[in-house]
Amino acid sequence: MPKSAPVYILGGAQTDFARNWTKEGKHFVGPMREAVLGALDATKIDPKEVETAHIGNFAAELYAHQGHIGAFFLEVDPAFYGLPTSRHEAACASGSIAILAASAEIEAARYDLACVVGMEQMKTVDSTTGGDFLGTAAWYEKEAKGIEFPFPKLFGRLGDEYDKRYGLKDEYLAKISATNYANAKRNPLAQTRNWFMSESHAQTESKFNQVIGGRIKVSDCSQVTDGSAAIFLASEKFATDWAKRHGKKLSDIPRILGWGHHTAPLEFDVKVAESREDEYVLPHTRQAIVDAFKRAGVSGIERINAIETHDCFTTSEYMAIDHFGITKPGESWKAVEEGVIEMGGKLPINPSGGLIGAGHPVGCTGVRQMLDLHKQVTGAAGDYQVEGAKTTAMLNIGGSGTTSCVFVVGK
Amino acid sequence: MAHKMKVVILGANGAMGATSGAVFAGAGWEVVSLARDLDKAQAALVTAQNAARAEAVAERVKLGTYDEHLDEEIADADLIFESLAEDIELKKAFFERVDKCRRPDSIVASGSSGLSIAEMARGRSDSFRKHFLGIHLFNPPQVIVGTEVIPHPETDPKVTREACEMLAHQLGRKVIVTRDRPAFVGNRVGFKVLNECAQLSEEHGVAFIDYVVGPHTGRAMAPLATIDLVGWDVHKAIVDNVYAHTEDEAHAAFRMPSFMERGIKAGQMGDKTPKQGGFYRKDGKSVEALDPKSGAYQTLPKPAPIPFVERMKHYNREGRYAQAFGAFADARGAEADLMRRVILGYVSYALNRVGEVAESARDVDIIMSYGFNWAPPSAIVDLIGAKNIVKMFEQYNLMVPPVVEKAATIGGKLYYGEMLDYGRTLVG
Repeated sequence: MPKSAPVYILGGAQTDFARNWTKEGKHFVGPMREAVLGALDATKIDPKEVETAHIGNFAAELYAHQGHIGAFFLEVDPAFYGLPTSRHEAACASGSIAILAASAEIEAARYDLACVVGMEQMKTVDSTTGGDFLGTAAWYEKEAKGIEFPFPKLFGRLGDEYDKRYGLKDEYLAKISATNYANAKRNPLAQTRNWFMSESHAQTESKFNQVIGGRIKVSDCSQVTDGSAAIFLASEKFATDWAKRHGKKLSDIPRILGWGHHTAPLEFDVKVAESREDEYVLPHTRQAIVDAFKRAGVSGIERINAIETHDCFTTSEYMAIDHFGITKPGESWKAVEEGVIEMGGKLPINPSGGLIGAGHPVGCTGVRQMLDLHKQVTGAAGDYQVEGAKTTAMLNIGGSGTTSCVFVVGK
Repeated sequence: MAHKMKVVILGANGAMGATSGAVFAGAGWEVVSLARDLDKAQAALVTAQNAARAEAVAERVKLGTYDEHLDEEIADADLIFESLAEDIELKKAFFERVDKCRRPDSIVASGSSGLSIAEMARGRSDSFRKHFLGIHLFNPPQVIVGTEVIPHPETDPKVTREACEMLAHQLGRKVIVTRDRPAFVGNRVGFKVLNECAQLSEEHGVAFIDYVVGPHTGRAMAPLATIDLVGWDVHKAIVDNVYAHTEDEAHAAFRMPSFMERGIKAGQMGDKTPKQGGFYRKDGKSVEALDPKSGAYQTLPKPAPIPFVERMKHYNREGRYAQAFGAFADARGAEADLMRRVILGYVSYALNRVGEVAESARDVDIIMSYGFNWAPPSAIVDLIGAKNIVKMFEQYNLMVPPVVEKAATIGGKLYYGEMLDYGRTLVG
């Protein structure tokens, strides 16, 4: 693979994912401004230095009856008037697509400093309506129309497919849930940081833990979240200057070491039919991981110290475990059982709490994940710091495993 | 966690005792909920399960009674958390028992929301006094994370530090240390503002006060609606205690309005007495507001929109908080004066507690922001500008707190954090 120009991550900020913007009487531009201004403050970047902006957002048209989201970047500061802006959408992978677009511009030497923003406001509607909106991330007419909560059902079927091919005990899914909630307790910006969770609660169907669809209970689901995050990506030229300003060496600044980006057919049935003979249930997701490792020059998973993965449901994290190569295909349960993926384990997954614990503002998630990798690599993750995290990876998925984006971040 | 922490809750059947049980259980602690009898302890467990939205809380909570289980359970507890009724003699009697059977290194904490911590420790053993402090949680504790830790003069500073660490890192609380003064920091400042609003409602009307000093001035909920939520009886207990035991620049603001005294006698307690009501009386979808002068309820009159209030809401909605406070400063007319008098009064009074009951402006900010969901006073100073706000304090005959004076002289920001921390408190 050809070597492209390096892309540096200078840092950023996110909103508290426990907030409810509707209750605060906020238009999404309010918290989005807070995230961008917070990122400027955290990196001591002057607004005048920003050259381009990319916003990841899934469905503001539906949740907030507003399109043209890229242009809202100008509302943050008058210094942004005139900047090139754009909005990117690939369902729950929207944030990563925005990162890829910004990276491409930096690699092509079009610009030296890009702001990437993720933003989703979801608490404007009730859960059934929200579930229907999320259905547009699948092939709506075929897989979601007229179905209550289509996505839990689709990801329940991912679990069923594992069960069919390799066997799957729900107790492992419960442990994945409990681990994410436990991690979220250490993250001061996680949505569920004050919620109760235990393995037995996650394992048991009850008044407070109802089945949403198939084998998916409330405890298996990520959250409905209002959230925004912003990060700055820079060329070597800008990063060199920025490092000098901060009394750092260029080698102290984290980089996107590699990326992978693959798309599978939209329909879940078509995906599963295609992979029937494959040892991986979602081979395109696997390929995105392999590509990212290759581009990063990472020999394999043993080089990775921490992962932020897309646990929109416990089944998607279960899938990520073997697809990352932590276990052989179909043996994800071993890593769960042995505590490999817990804090203090050999390879912690979602120290932030992930989508289940930290929250899942859909179009923001990819940006939040990269911000968390930046925190891990720079030792700035506070109570959820993975000791000695040097090389890290993230997986961000749109739809039922349709769009897969992977990044390796390290120094 | 290498060692599984164990807490014994005394008075587990009270609202705070039961819900704090959910907080400890949520952190994976072993919880022992003690009450007078098992039925009461069982009811506390159901409250905790509902608060945590999880039946599985039961796996971490053991129930017991004072007569049968107290001595034995306290013997190996890491923390003894007292959440009994606010009756100092009752509390002291329990502490005498605790003193006899506790492990020497265990921490004993009172959950009192304003009684003297030093008085509760009086007469106890050296070890008890060294390990005793107040841990004041706000209601409901599973949602509101602001927490005050109140050492008394003999509390071992190491114990205070340990308690703060444990609350912040194991229980996810936002912790400040306060001095042992009536109502501590949060309630002292918060109820000064709330009671002042109650007093003002007599002349200006309930709906008007809640509109003019509403969420746009930096609070999740309008002030009189907040008193209804807290309960008029609880409100009275707090302001009477402060009125009787402090003497400060806002003493008159703690005098209970006579219409509220009359209301309490007639069973008006706010939301918990829906029939009698409080400042508001709700019946299904219809809401009536109290006329404090006559005691009658009237269909809630919708206050006519006031342009400066609507302007502030509009700016808050878009996250332009400095502009919102620009509109706050520029607004003209009697209504604007009233809003400024209350809000500037809040900022002045809150920051003037630094050195008296709070250690720092940062501590005041944390507790107002995370205990009350109000805009932190230092953030308001920064949004208006320290120099400007000093002039405004003088205009309204309010004291200029030394920390604000200093910020105005040397320049720079007073608030410790950033917009991301306080933006949620400024409502559009």
